[in-house]
Amino acid sequence: MIHCMIDAMRRTALASVAGAMVAALPLAATAQEKTPMDPRLTTPGVLTVGTGDPVYPPWMLNNDPAGGEGFENGLVYALAEEMGFSRDQVVWIGQTFDQAIAPGAKPYDFAIQQISVTEPRKQIVSFSQVYFQPDKAIIALPGTDAETAASFEDLKALRWGAVIGTTDNDYLVNILGISDAAIYNEQVDVFQALQAGQIDATLASLPTALYMTAVQVPEAGIVALLPADENDNGHGLLFEFESPLVPWVDEALSAIIERGVVDELIDTYLVANPDLAIISE
Amino acid sequence: MTDEKPADAGAHHRARRGPPPPPPRRGFDWRTAAMPTAIASLSVIVVFGFMAWAVTSAEQWPRIKLQFFNLDAMIAAFPRVLQGFWVNMQVWLTVLACILIWALVLAVVRSLRAPWFAPFRLMVVIYIDIFRGVPVLLLVLLFGFGIPALNLAGLPNSGLFWGSVAMVLSYAAYVAEIYRSGIDAVHEGQRAAAKSLGLSEWQTLRYAILPQALRNVVPALMNIVVALQKDVALLSVIGVRDAVREAQIYTASTFNYSSLIVAAGLFLLATIPMARLADYLTRRDRERRLQLAG
Repeated sequence: MIHCMIDAMRRTALASVAGAMVAALPLAATAQEKTPMDPRLTTPGVLTVGTGDPVYPPWMLNNDPAGGEGFENGLVYALAEEMGFSRDQVVWIGQTFDQAIAPGAKPYDFAIQQISVTEPRKQIVSFSQVYFQPDKAIIALPGTDAETAASFEDLKALRWGAVIGTTDNDYLVNILGISDAAIYNEQVDVFQALQAGQIDATLASLPTALYMTAVQVPEAGIVALLPADENDNGHGLLFEFESPLVPWVDEALSAIIERGVVDELIDTYLVANPDLAIISE
Repeated sequence: MTDEKPADAGAHHRARRGPPPPPPRRGFDWRTAAMPTAIASLSVIVVFGFMAWAVTSAEQWPRIKLQFFNLDAMIAAFPRVLQGFWVNMQVWLTVLACILIWALVLAVVRSLRAPWFAPFRLMVVIYIDIFRGVPVLLLVLLFGFGIPALNLAGLPNSGLFWGSVAMVLSYAAYVAEIYRSGIDAVHEGQRAAAKSLGLSEWQTLRYAILPQALRNVVPALMNIVVALQKDVALLSVIGVRDAVREAQIYTASTFNYSSLIVAAGLFLLATIPMARLADYLTRRDRERRLQLAG
């Protein structure tokens, strides 16, 4: 009840502030909207983009967002071009996952960090439309029970590990009904636990899994793919809550998705090995 | 008093002989009694009221409230956090028991005086230097991930087990030093007295020194007990799902921090009674000693 009242008061206050601002702004400012000089940007004149630090392939190659090689930075540069920014006008800011979800003002216009869009998260931050929905893949060492698993029942019997901050644990809980997975701070910890025999298997989005099994832990392999979780809408760009930039960025995102730019990036960087077993029940 | 009635007062009342009237009985004066309470309450209301106003009038308060003090999120997170807290409690009690015993062994070895114990004393000194000097978090990572990866035959490879071992080794170094301070605080005369009764070194320690030493250090130990209870949360880095990790999982999945407040509340519920218990033990011990001295 009190909560509702405060909410209502807040809305009224916001509305009046917004009204005052609109009244005070000269027409010239509105004319600059949706251009690189848009006053609503964190730093007008440049597009400030947050991402992980370090960044991993295949999302961004060579730990260098500004290099432009990789799925996510490729997407951002295409998006920036669509919005009217030149390549030099894109500024990257590194941050941890915890910083990305922390409350308060954000030092960037939006962040791209394989962040999954879910309903509870939407009440804390704002998201763009979804631009990519990865499959989930099971990673395990050869010669373990995980390798021969063929059903959800088999999977339930395994000891699972996952990284905090990913939707992998949500997947384990919601789809497989596993609520006692060990949750680690970093991906590298999960592999350490895998190799120490503390867990049998872990879960990751397919592009990440392909990279891990190819480069980081070559002795591990992808055992099978899993069906999508309908509560996990896929990756979206993350904005400060109710950021006024969302419609503009969404518009540009729609345009590049329509032109096939995103599909092209997926083909270039995130090609899945189609020859994997799928466990769906 | 009546005998020493001042002379001038006596002069005034010379006419009325007899004992002076008893002093007027002091009744319970509500005004005097209530005044300090009223002032204290007023000042509490003003100070806390101002703080509450300062916090809630911040521009970002509605967002913070939604993200940190969201009752629905707290209720949603509570069962899992409580389950994690149960893990905390189990680990805490087990680890605590091991620490108290292992540290006592270390302290006793260090305080043995016979010359042939020199290598063992040296080993304990080195042990304490090493394990007190390395951050517990590092030890937990090294033991929790490193040792299981060796795949040693016959030893468990669970992270919970090796993480707890790391906690025991580290905390025992601190506790051993606390024990030693207690042993050193027992007067030298006690040793001499025990010796003169014909007690061996071991018997002296067992019957004369340790009982006094342990009593000396109870308040300092309570401090460690409280600190240990919170540090169990360090095991979350090696995949143990304690209260903090359960709260973080909820936060990471919903971006809502209210679960952390739930975990903080549970820790307070457990540590505040312990702090009062420590106060009580300290006071009782002090009173006992003062009685002995008197």
